Amino acid sequence: MERVVAARGEITEIVGRPSSGRTSLLVACLRDVAQSGETAALVDTEETFDPASAAQAGVDLRRLLWVRCGGRRDVALRAVDMLVRCPGFALVALDLGELVVRLPATLAFRLKFAVRRADVALLIVGRRRLTGASATLAIETRSQAIEWAGPGPAPTRLARVRTTTAVLRARHAPPAESPSRWWRA
Amino acid sequence: MAGVSRFACVLVAHFAAAAVERCEPALREQPLAVLTQTANIKILVDANAAARERDVRSGMTETEAAARCPTLVTRSHIEEHVAAARHALLEAALAVSPRIEDGGAGIVYVDTAGLERLIGDPEAIGRRLVHQARTVGLVARAGVAGSRTAARVAAASASVPVTVVAPGRERAALAGVPLGVLDLDPPLAATLARWGVRTLGEMAALPREGVTIRLGPAGLRAHDQALGRDHEPFRPWTPPPFWEEAQGLEWEIESLEVLTVVLETVLTRLCGRLGAAALAADVLDIRLGLASGGHHARVVSLAYPMSEVKPMLALVGLDLEAHPPPAPVTRVAVSAHPIRAQMGQGGLWQPPVPAIRDLVSVLARLAALVGTDSLGSPTLVDSHRPDAFAMLAFSPPTEPDAPARGDVEPRLALRRMRPARRVDVAVVGERPARVDAQHVVACAGPWRASGEWWDTEAWARDEWDVALGDGALCRLARDRLTGHWYLDGLYD
Repeated sequence: MERVVAARGEITEIVGRPSSGRTSLLVACLRDVAQSGETAALVDTEETFDPASAAQAGVDLRRLLWVRCGGRRDVALRAVDMLVRCPGFALVALDLGELVVRLPATLAFRLKFAVRRADVALLIVGRRRLTGASATLAIETRSQAIEWAGPGPAPTRLARVRTTTAVLRARHAPPAESPSRWWRA
Repeated sequence: MAGVSRFACVLVAHFAAAAVERCEPALREQPLAVLTQTANIKILVDANAAARERDVRSGMTETEAAARCPTLVTRSHIEEHVAAARHALLEAALAVSPRIEDGGAGIVYVDTAGLERLIGDPEAIGRRLVHQARTVGLVARAGVAGSRTAARVAAASASVPVTVVAPGRERAALAGVPLGVLDLDPPLAATLARWGVRTLGEMAALPREGVTIRLGPAGLRAHDQALGRDHEPFRPWTPPPFWEEAQGLEWEIESLEVLTVVLETVLTRLCGRLGAAALAADVLDIRLGLASGGHHARVVSLAYPMSEVKPMLALVGLDLEAHPPPAPVTRVAVSAHPIRAQMGQGGLWQPPVPAIRDLVSVLARLAALVGTDSLGSPTLVDSHRPDAFAMLAFSPPTEPDAPARGDVEPRLALRRMRPARRVDVAVVGERPARVDAQHVVACAGPWRASGEWWDTEAWARDEWDVALGDGALCRLARDRLTGHWYLDGLYD
């Protein structure tokens, strides 16, 4: 799934409600990029990235450029615009958090061509879709189940969470079905 | 080395004018005079060859020179231009031979011993020196001879770029050269003129003892020069730790765009010098003279050694954009710390990473956009305090990592609230039952943690993982010191 989502030269959008697994999928993509020895950049609009949980997930933080935008949407978009024009990054991720923003169609097309020219994967995580027809793939994550653990009747530990994905838009063949996936807490 | 002369002299004629032409190359084809203000009158310090063809000479007043040459272009004498050009010429010669001597403005002596194995015959060495001088914006002539004096006279009296005096033929080669090339003191020159001595050959023919008795040490020195002998030992020149290029302005600059144009000119000259010596700079020291009389100084670290104008200009421009000068600028000076950069090559199987020059530029732009504190690679701090991390400068490792240990089980990520949001929690049976307006579907905990109780920053908390009625799965924390509840983050 991570390889399909973080396709080089394409824009991919991951949308969903809070706790639906969007960020876990993003972190899994960052881990894959770092494990292959490449570098990634994360433009974090609301500064919600948690380095500790990312490190637990296997992300090599040395290969991650973290840009914290302090909740400023315009700054985040400008930062992404700069990063996708710098060849060499394997993945540029834009985490819009719960901000619902509108992206001018011209900017979306500019991003699309810049991403293609620099051969970088642009991953946009947010509540709703943003780039319209410029995205090659758009998927929605949904929470399915939560598993608790503990020795007694009252759980003492969050064990794992199951999420699923639904394809909203796929210009090429949609990714192989991955109906559900468990994420360990 | 029987067949090779040992010294070369690189000479730039009319050096003050050449220094101005170096700053404004478009003036090379025009008659140019360099002026200095004395009392209420402007006096010519120097003029280029085109002006001299029109009988413009040093020492004339501006009015007199303009009368002789109506198309004359004038510029003020700026000491920094001459000093920078002088250093540039020395560094250009240093790229050819490690032993050079500063012979004054526009004159560099080069020890050519051993260079024939690297470069070729004396003619080739001379051509290399002239070429190196051209790379730093100076048009020079070179003379190669057995002594520095003979080499200088040969370069000064020749009309071709390179003149080679055969070994042992110095006296004969210099015999026909006018005495004026020696720049003798006016009284001595007048005495010799009264004696009818007009060439170096006639000077050399004078009896040495008689010259010593009648003209003293100055005469003896002139006699040695006429014979092509050096009077003083060779004094090797060592480059200073910082190289400076400066541009004095006859107007005030208020906008950053115009200042960038001037900086580009200065950096182009500086990079030309660095490139000629095969060096790079790792730090730039920008010093702007202000109309208010003060200075605005900035130190720009280049992150990696470079000698290209474009990335340097981008970094300096971004730095000045973040820290603009407080008053109009009247002078621009840039110092570079030159170092010898070692070229590297990426591994064949190494994945592509951003090129350093691109990365440095984009990082500087991002730093200007979000601030340096909000940019970099996170690193975990050795602490149990929640959300303990530090930001490091982004510098991805160049070495490939060891192969991964198979598939890592997917982990749930947390979205942190920064700062943690205070919430109202209703507790039933010591467990959260309601968070703000949302009822708790399930929860796990508490996980107790505390730290730094020995210090003023003591903290203690109970953490709960809570599933809410709206589907959110969040982490709550109760501060045991204050009793307040906080929303730490959302599992997502």
